[in-house]
Amino acid sequence: MSLLDIQGLKLSFRDLRGLTEVLHGISLRVSAGERVALVGESGSGKSVTARIVLGLLQETQKALISGEVVFDGQDVNRMAPQARAALRGVDISMIFQDPTSSLNPTFTIERQFVEVLRRRENKLSRKDCDAKAMQMLAATSIADPARVLASYPFQLSGGMNQRVMIAMALANRPKLLLADEPGTALDVTVQAQTLALMRRLVADHDAAVLLISHNLGVVREFADRVYVIYRGRIVEDGPTQALFADPRHAYTRALMAAVPRITGEGIPDVPEISSDFLAPQVSHGGDQ
Amino acid sequence: MTLLSLRNLSKTFKTPAGLVHAVRDVSLDVVESECLAIVGESGSGKTTLANMILGNLAPTEGAITLAGAPLGPQRSPSERRAIQLVQQNPLSALNPKRTIGASVRLGLDTYQIGPRANRWHLVEDALEAVGLPREMRHRAPSALSGGQRQRVGIARALSVAPRLLVLDEPTSALDVLVQARVLRLLNDLRETRGLTYLFITHDLAVVRNVAARIAVFQSGRLVEEGPTEAIFSAPKTDYTRALIAAVPVVDAAELALRNSIGGGS
Amino acid sequence: MIRAALILTRSPLNLLGIVLVALVVCAAIFAPWVAPFPDHNGAVVDFLNNNRPPSARNWMGTDLVGRDIFSRILYAYQISLTLGVVVLAIATPIGTFVGLLAGYLGGWTEAVLMRLVDVFLSIPPLVLAIAMMGVLEPTLTNAMLAVTAMWWPWYARLVYSIARSEREEGYVLAAEVIGAGTGHVAFREILPNCLPAIITKMTLDMGFVIIIASSLSFLGLGVQPPTPDLGSMVAEGARYLPDSWWLTVFPGLAILVAVFGFNLLGDGLREVLDVDR
Repeated sequence: MSLLDIQGLKLSFRDLRGLTEVLHGISLRVSAGERVALVGESGSGKSVTARIVLGLLQETQKALISGEVVFDGQDVNRMAPQARAALRGVDISMIFQDPTSSLNPTFTIERQFVEVLRRRENKLSRKDCDAKAMQMLAATSIADPARVLASYPFQLSGGMNQRVMIAMALANRPKLLLADEPGTALDVTVQAQTLALMRRLVADHDAAVLLISHNLGVVREFADRVYVIYRGRIVEDGPTQALFADPRHAYTRALMAAVPRITGEGIPDVPEISSDFLAPQVSHGGDQ
Repeated sequence: MTLLSLRNLSKTFKTPAGLVHAVRDVSLDVVESECLAIVGESGSGKTTLANMILGNLAPTEGAITLAGAPLGPQRSPSERRAIQLVQQNPLSALNPKRTIGASVRLGLDTYQIGPRANRWHLVEDALEAVGLPREMRHRAPSALSGGQRQRVGIARALSVAPRLLVLDEPTSALDVLVQARVLRLLNDLRETRGLTYLFITHDLAVVRNVAARIAVFQSGRLVEEGPTEAIFSAPKTDYTRALIAAVPVVDAAELALRNSIGGGS
Repeated sequence: MIRAALILTRSPLNLLGIVLVALVVCAAIFAPWVAPFPDHNGAVVDFLNNNRPPSARNWMGTDLVGRDIFSRILYAYQISLTLGVVVLAIATPIGTFVGLLAGYLGGWTEAVLMRLVDVFLSIPPLVLAIAMMGVLEPTLTNAMLAVTAMWWPWYARLVYSIARSEREEGYVLAAEVIGAGTGHVAFREILPNCLPAIITKMTLDMGFVIIIASSLSFLGLGVQPPTPDLGSMVAEGARYLPDSWWLTVFPGLAILVAVFGFNLLGDGLREVLDVDR
């Protein structure tokens, strides 16, 4: 059974003109311990999908959601708001694009760690929290965890904050980690370290990952399986190897061709939009 | 022929925490009609360098010359006109309250280019040259996509016929497909008009495909400089090697190149 | 425009604001034709009908010398709105000019101009106005002058804070790199981006200017009798509360309606103009 099973998910936003549909019925699965990527350009609907899994969009009046988002046997769409809130930061956690702005600048890392850990066990003593936090930070190869714990986010580098974010996200042993463009706001060398670290830690913690990204290179290096999303529709899915070796959907091909190569193939003449991009979904299988 | 020449350029900022050496002793030449890439991560000094070249910042030490003539921090109108900029964020680079046409026309009015009655026509020509419809001059920036806005930014910079175009991460805020179109446009414009680019970026994969020469910056220093081919086949410094190794790659050929350089994950 | 109208009329509170402001403006414009006793605008005395409660003849009763309160309120609106428009028409450009220069140029221009603004802002507005009116003759012109003197610094500060953040935007850098002059960048590039906030504040301020002007005349420092003014009408009637309640309640309500209306409309505009950004 899948850990996360999204079936026919539709999302519309209400605005002055009426309804605008942004997800036209997408389906995707993530099994326990699996690393899955949802890759697409801006406006494709990849980030709203993550927010629906987190149960955040369900709370807003402007969003109309239909379809199933079954996490661990329960439909997130039909849960009570309190139950959804209880999932966040405990069984589902999230890593954001810009680590420094996602941490609260007015509290020390220690204080923020305590808050995170007490979401799972609200009676946890300060001492136990600190011990756990030290252990998690050490696991992210932070040389001096005690100093980092006593620091405020603005006293640390972007790369260090990213590690802190990852440590916090995994501290409660979540079953699913949502990573929205992790490290995109950071330097390339730091981004590469972040991905390597995430890869190792999610394996250690048996967490599944849904990686949201626009970067095909990042996706290829991180994910077991890939879904390509274009304008609210999944256009192609399959195991990373198979999909990168043989992209079959016109959109995936275009996307793949458009990525500049370090081997210097020149910039190919790829259309920005094409009616072929709206062709039916191609599946390479492998999602069981 | 050398168009822009930097000699022993340094910039030091005084901050409460002490002196920050943003750019240290940089000497570099940009040759007419070439595309030179300035590569570096945050804190490498590449933005400070660009600001000194544009005349927005005065160097602490060193000299900048354009086609043999020294450029001081106080630029004359013609000196300003000679070096133009395309910014990273195309959304903020266009005034939301002015039409596309008004933004592009500003340079024409400032330098009295063409007869006044003909300037809207020139604006439309400039838009057409970057692949935008002529009637787009009536639109507001909010009605344009990111790629279209960046094209407007390019049209505006080129409208005053600069000698050097500084491109500050011109495609890093764009989607991959849009980036490809804009990079092709920039390549075409350079080839057909013989333009000179200073292409500032952190993306080595982009650099490989647009620049003939690369200058790698780290902590304000120029650590490596050379033809693109040479740097990708045999980087001389560990830092350049690490930068290449960190590029997320999508195909086997790239992977092979990255591994041969000695990095990779 | 259509979208703006849609947003503005979507909320019932915004609609109420529009209706109230329209009502007040129409009352002021059409006072000579609508007022049942247009001549009660001035020094008329009718002791046969003085201090009467509301009736079919005098909807809001009559005052101590027998003038129709309803008619006088309509004329008082004329004075209040004129005062508001004139004050804002002078204060806004001054404040905007000062704020733009300080915000865009920075450096010593900013230091000098904004310290001056701070000095004005540190004096309680009513105290400043009272002090000025103590020195000057208590006429309508001087009341406007006093209110204007304390109003422009608020616009300077508003525009200053917007201009400061706008000067970091890419479009300002773009204009500077192209070679545009200071005047162009300040007035053609930055100013249009300050306008939504300025317009919103002006609408809200119409209400506040009316209150301040009424407060001044309540204290006997503003518009002088026999010219009708809402503040002085409330002041005169206050001594006869609660028996002759109509002397104060109706002028008081008139102030409330105008201020409330402009506030609601201002809030609505803020919503519309923000969405546009």
